[in-house]
Amino acid sequence: MSAGSARPAAPAPEVVLAADGLTKHFPVRARGRALLSRTRPSLRAVDDVSLTLRRGQVTALVGESGSGKSTVARLLAQLHQQTAGSIRLHGEPVSARGGRRFRAYSRRVQLIFQDPFASLNPVHTVRYHLTRALKIHGRAGESRKDLEDALADLLTRVRLTPPERYLDKFPHELSGGQRQRVAIARALGADPEVLLADEPVSMLDVSIRLGVLNLLRDLKERLHLAILYITHDIASARYFADDTVVMYAGQVVEGGDSETVTQRPAHPYTQLLIDSAPDPDRLAGADSGTREAGTGEPPSLITPPPGCRFHPRCPHAMARCRTEAPPPLAIGDSPGHFAACWLYDEARQP
Amino acid sequence: MAVPTTELAATAPQPAPVSPGRRRRLRFAANPKAATGLVILGGFVLLAIIGPWIAPHDPSLRGTDLLQPPSAAHWFGTTHLGQDIFSQVLAGTRSVVVVGFVAGIVSTALSILVGVTSGYLSGAGGESLSALSNVFLVIPALPLIVIIASALPGTDNLTIALVIGLTSWAWGARVLRAQTLSLRRRDYVQAARATGESTWRIILFEIMPNLAAVIASGFISTVIFAVTSEITLAFIGVGDTSTWNWGTILFWAQSQQALAQGAWWWFVPAGLAIALLGTALSLVNFGIDELVSPRLRGNGGTTARTEDGHRVRMRVGFTPVLGSGRKDDPARRQRGSTAASVSERGADHARSRASRPAVRDDAVLEIRGLDVDYGLGDAAVHAVRDVHLTLRRGEVLGLAGESGSGKSTLAYGLTRLLPPPGVVAGGEVLYHPERGEPVDVLRMSPAQLRRFRWAETAIVFQGAMNSLNPVHKVSTQLMDVIKAHDPTSSRADRRDRARELLALVGIAEDRLDSYPHQLSGGMRQRVMIGMALALQPRVVIMDEPTTALDVVIQRQILRQLTELRERLGFSVLFITHDLSLLVEFSDRIAVMYGGRIVEQAASADLYRRALHPYSDGLLHSFPALRGPRRELTGIPGSPPDLRAMPTGCAFHPRCPRAFEPCAQRVPVLGMPRARQGEDRAGDDRAGNDRAGGDHAVACWLHPVQDTRF
Amino acid sequence: MSYLLKRIAFYLFTAWAAITINFFVPRLIPGDPVQALITKARGQLTAEAVQSLYVLFGLDSEASLLDQYVRYLGQLLRGDLGLSFTFFPSPVAEVIGDSLPWTLGLVGITTVVGFLIGTGLGTVAGWRRGSWVDLVIPVTTFLSSIPYFWLGLIAITLLTGPGSFFPASGAHDTGLVPSWDWEFVGSVLQHGLLPAATILISCMSGWILSMRNMMVTVAAEDYVTVAHAKGLSERRVMVSYAARNALLPNVSGLALSLGFIVGGTLLVEIVFSYPGLGLQLFQAVGAKDYPLMQGIFLIITLSVLLANFLADVAYLVLDPRTRREG
Ligand SMILES: Nc1ncnc2c1ncn2[C@@H]1O[C@H](COP(=O)(O)OP(=O)(O)OP(=O)(O)O)[C@@H](O)[C@H]1O
Ligand code: SF4
Ligand code: SF4
Ligand SMILES: [Mg+2]
Repeated sequence: MSAGSARPAAPAPEVVLAADGLTKHFPVRARGRALLSRTRPSLRAVDDVSLTLRRGQVTALVGESGSGKSTVARLLAQLHQQTAGSIRLHGEPVSARGGRRFRAYSRRVQLIFQDPFASLNPVHTVRYHLTRALKIHGRAGESRKDLEDALADLLTRVRLTPPERYLDKFPHELSGGQRQRVAIARALGADPEVLLADEPVSMLDVSIRLGVLNLLRDLKERLHLAILYITHDIASARYFADDTVVMYAGQVVEGGDSETVTQRPAHPYTQLLIDSAPDPDRLAGADSGTREAGTGEPPSLITPPPGCRFHPRCPHAMARCRTEAPPPLAIGDSPGHFAACWLYDEARQP
Repeated sequence: MAVPTTELAATAPQPAPVSPGRRRRLRFAANPKAATGLVILGGFVLLAIIGPWIAPHDPSLRGTDLLQPPSAAHWFGTTHLGQDIFSQVLAGTRSVVVVGFVAGIVSTALSILVGVTSGYLSGAGGESLSALSNVFLVIPALPLIVIIASALPGTDNLTIALVIGLTSWAWGARVLRAQTLSLRRRDYVQAARATGESTWRIILFEIMPNLAAVIASGFISTVIFAVTSEITLAFIGVGDTSTWNWGTILFWAQSQQALAQGAWWWFVPAGLAIALLGTALSLVNFGIDELVSPRLRGNGGTTARTEDGHRVRMRVGFTPVLGSGRKDDPARRQRGSTAASVSERGADHARSRASRPAVRDDAVLEIRGLDVDYGLGDAAVHAVRDVHLTLRRGEVLGLAGESGSGKSTLAYGLTRLLPPPGVVAGGEVLYHPERGEPVDVLRMSPAQLRRFRWAETAIVFQGAMNSLNPVHKVSTQLMDVIKAHDPTSSRADRRDRARELLALVGIAEDRLDSYPHQLSGGMRQRVMIGMALALQPRVVIMDEPTTALDVVIQRQILRQLTELRERLGFSVLFITHDLSLLVEFSDRIAVMYGGRIVEQAASADLYRRALHPYSDGLLHSFPALRGPRRELTGIPGSPPDLRAMPTGCAFHPRCPRAFEPCAQRVPVLGMPRARQGEDRAGDDRAGNDRAGGDHAVACWLHPVQDTRF
Repeated sequence: MSYLLKRIAFYLFTAWAAITINFFVPRLIPGDPVQALITKARGQLTAEAVQSLYVLFGLDSEASLLDQYVRYLGQLLRGDLGLSFTFFPSPVAEVIGDSLPWTLGLVGITTVVGFLIGTGLGTVAGWRRGSWVDLVIPVTTFLSSIPYFWLGLIAITLLTGPGSFFPASGAHDTGLVPSWDWEFVGSVLQHGLLPAATILISCMSGWILSMRNMMVTVAAEDYVTVAHAKGLSERRVMVSYAARNALLPNVSGLALSLGFIVGGTLLVEIVFSYPGLGLQLFQAVGAKDYPLMQGIFLIITLSVLLANFLADVAYLVLDPRTRREG
């Protein structure tokens, strides 16, 4: 890794984890008339998603519930097997089938869960959780002292100090924010390169969210972690992430650097999302004049609409949108900004 | 709503660590049912060990006293052969207990093996194991045991125990499978997997410890079943009638026609012993059940006594209101010096109303000094303290605060819908009808309250998912409320009205006969809003109505709500933790912290000039979507534990600006002196009854102007 | 619909499993049980009967296990359960046919009545926690810990005897010929009352308890709070919102507890000398009448499966979430 820092500053940091055409279909039980048809129905939770995570950068994945964000995280963590597509770690294709290979992979890619109340086992202490993480990844050291040092080091990293006060606590004796810090410490126990954070703060109280986000940002800077930050709150993506990717109904609809995506959203869905987010500066009554696109609900993922999946709700839908799925198209206002929308295809053809 | 779990603020005193295991064991032993059961059970186990030695006679030894009733020589009487029944019962205890426990162990081991494995393994293996246990579950056990036991060559105790064990594991396996299935989906199991734990370690160290209570309860149920089965088998003559157990005693009693001869003592002792053992085991199981699901715990929670010996019945749906005796609240004592005390104000009510400025008259709901507790006496947790709040006609009043700050408790308390052990400990909730004198909701009889509810104040609850009854159609649930308040209406009218209500919230009328599970989350919440408007109430209380929804749907619903409010003119008390939403959506905002209202102001005012350091911190915790990227500060520490509330200002451990009085004295909500000058528009109201565009705050940084009425 | 089909398939499979167990169990008996039976019968068995016994025990050595199994299935399909040894030469099917109605009547009526009363009491106990109804729980727990048959014995001691209204044994007056007249039906009711009451008392507590616990759980659900908030009458909230939903798990519980109730009923029949399957099973055990035991096991199992299926249908009707359109 030290070679990396000696290199002259590259325009973009090195890609650590890349997903290409990631797809996950969950089989569903056929019922009714579908029983008679020959194709087996499936729920297309994730369809052809490509993403890159870079060293020392945060990539936000934004979307509504059910849009497939968590599934992407679990695919990247290899808790689910993808139906199609590939994942590359430093360019090497990943295959984490089987205990040993999965363990080796999980040493480098760690997942943090949404709900710190649920992701720590109520019957085990903080010490147990962290010791296991260290032992599994061979970082517990030789002696008891090594282990104690390693534990103290982990807790200090997540700013639970003094460590002795927290080591022998049970999860229910900690507050939500402290629990999430323990969960982060556990992930750090593997000394990973990639942290997949699935809505790490959405279950926490508003006043303590910021502390956890700032901790993650700090870790990113000090440990040069590549972080995937999954959230439904696009405002926090602007604040916290370098890049932002927006998902709708299992597909990526827009991506680019966070400031561009939030300030100049290109895809009609992203625009709807941003218009819908609460905005204290828009005081009551000043609501008129915003785009009146806010109708309808996300589609079924078992029988998604043909063409662009957003077309039943899209105010700009054209004939072409109903039949052909739009590929990611460059917007051109900033490097790397793209949207999967036919509007931008026409824009390019004079 | 939920009483917060132990939240340890960094500054809170650190209690000595108690493992949940130990804590559970302590609670279990303290459970009177479990304790009684364990003591009786211990007695039987002791008898099983020493019984054969302390028996006064050889149980099989024939004597000369044939068929004698109980006497000093034979405590339980004798059989037709002159055998001592007391000795037989004692001697039989061992075989009963041994068979019970051996069968219990065998069956529990099998059920763990089948249940946990089939629950953890997905796919064909798990499915077929589960099918196997379901098959065993529906085959009637007793006849099965009878045919197997009678086919076997030897029928000693051990064989019987094994047969019972082998035929009775299915129930336990089914329960364990269901538990394991749900545990497997828990995040901590997924997290252990993501950390790289192996499957067997996950089963043994992550899942099994969490199943302990279920396994124990399954074990005990099997022991009960095994004991009964063993005795039954002995009674019908399957097995070895020459070794003594309680069933054999009954077998001989039956075969010798003890009944016909009036020899009641022959079968009464053994039967009572069985019943006692069974009851003891059931009691232990109740203890375990109550440990696992706290809702079942203690009927003590439903009737309780206050300090002054007053009996309070905790009735679901009608939260009790404690007598008007005021508690000694330091804040209120203080208020006594700055403003009229609540009771004083109650007495002066009529007069002060008459002299009130015009702005008062548009109040629809006036909360005065409301206190809401969970529990009574010393055990009470004060979740809402001394809250004053006025909802005016046609306005949206936002109530913001973190989880556990008491928002929902306030909403449920003022409508008296708080489930036990919630009680309203004091205060008034005045409803101002369109015509006539205000009425106190807290003093209504159940019948009055029932008539008042929904007709005047409707509620939309947190999580529409659970607010609709899953087994009734949407139409039924819309129509029954109309019928309850207008019994004379015809069914067709009600159906028309239901159709209208759905149209009001933008749902097609063909959804009228849908069941809730057939609607999406957003539609369900809309149905709830439509239902809230069914009787055209003047007040609608909304508790986190959109929290579970996506922003896009949330925006749709809020827009619709704004529209309906403009059209129909009802007032909304809007509760949420999302302050940024409130700033945009409501007219006025009250911020709660630690059960009290700490600041109250017009939305724009609060957003621009938050006075309380907590409100200010909250406003600086939200990343802004537009405009320049502001620096975000957040708030250090974590929300307070209601059971160990900091002294003085509850916020002081986290407050960046705390100073000398903060830790000692509770700041009172009022209009700060400095602002009094600016905003003063000729009204001189004290406390929080101050309305208008007034900005009230409870913080020592902004001392309250202390003139009285 | 697919739910029902799945359940039917499951019950068919279970029936097959029970039949197979029934086939293999006699083959566990070591030695030559048939010889023992023949000796015991003192030469009253015809050659044909002896042969059928050998077939039953799998001792007709010339046939392979598979052949035996196929033959056994064939016999069952024809309704042939073998010959009873105690009631020789009556076929088992006929013997069972005589006693089955009595047991079905007793179990059926007591189960339905017990379920209704138990659920009703449990509803009230769960709704009015903290009132006198709470006493129901310890009392019924104690009662349910008593074996059915012992309770029967006590009932007989205390309530029957010369001059009592309750007869101590039988299903009807011995002098009467079964027919559909008042006298006979009255006598049947009179004889059935005490056994039925015994079963009721023993089996009810389970339902009271589970219904109470479900009511307590359901009473805290949001939709019940909403029902209160709507100002519905207390009765409607209790019945239509709380009990209606609490009932669902109790219905599936009903199906699963049927096996236990049937077992208990068999014993009560023994105590009351009620001419049902229980008494027959008792006699069969005493006489080592394997064909009869097996036949009874099979019939009971099949009836329980049928009852379970009915409970499934009831559940389907009660819970809209299991109903699927299409
Ligand atoms: N194991 C599974 N089996 C079947 N369907 C699943 C499974 N996991 C997820 N899904 C479905 O996949 C879709 C995407 O789910 P996912 O949890 O990834 O969404 P999300 O965007 O993270 O939602 P939220 O914000 O609610 O967490 C949903 O429709 C969900 O029901
Ligand atoms: S492709 Fe068409 S339907 Fe899809 S977002 Fe763009 S304009 Fe709308
Ligand atoms: S009273 Fe003191 S501690 Fe409380 S908010 Fe004001 S300054 Fe902070
Ligand atoms: Mg998610």
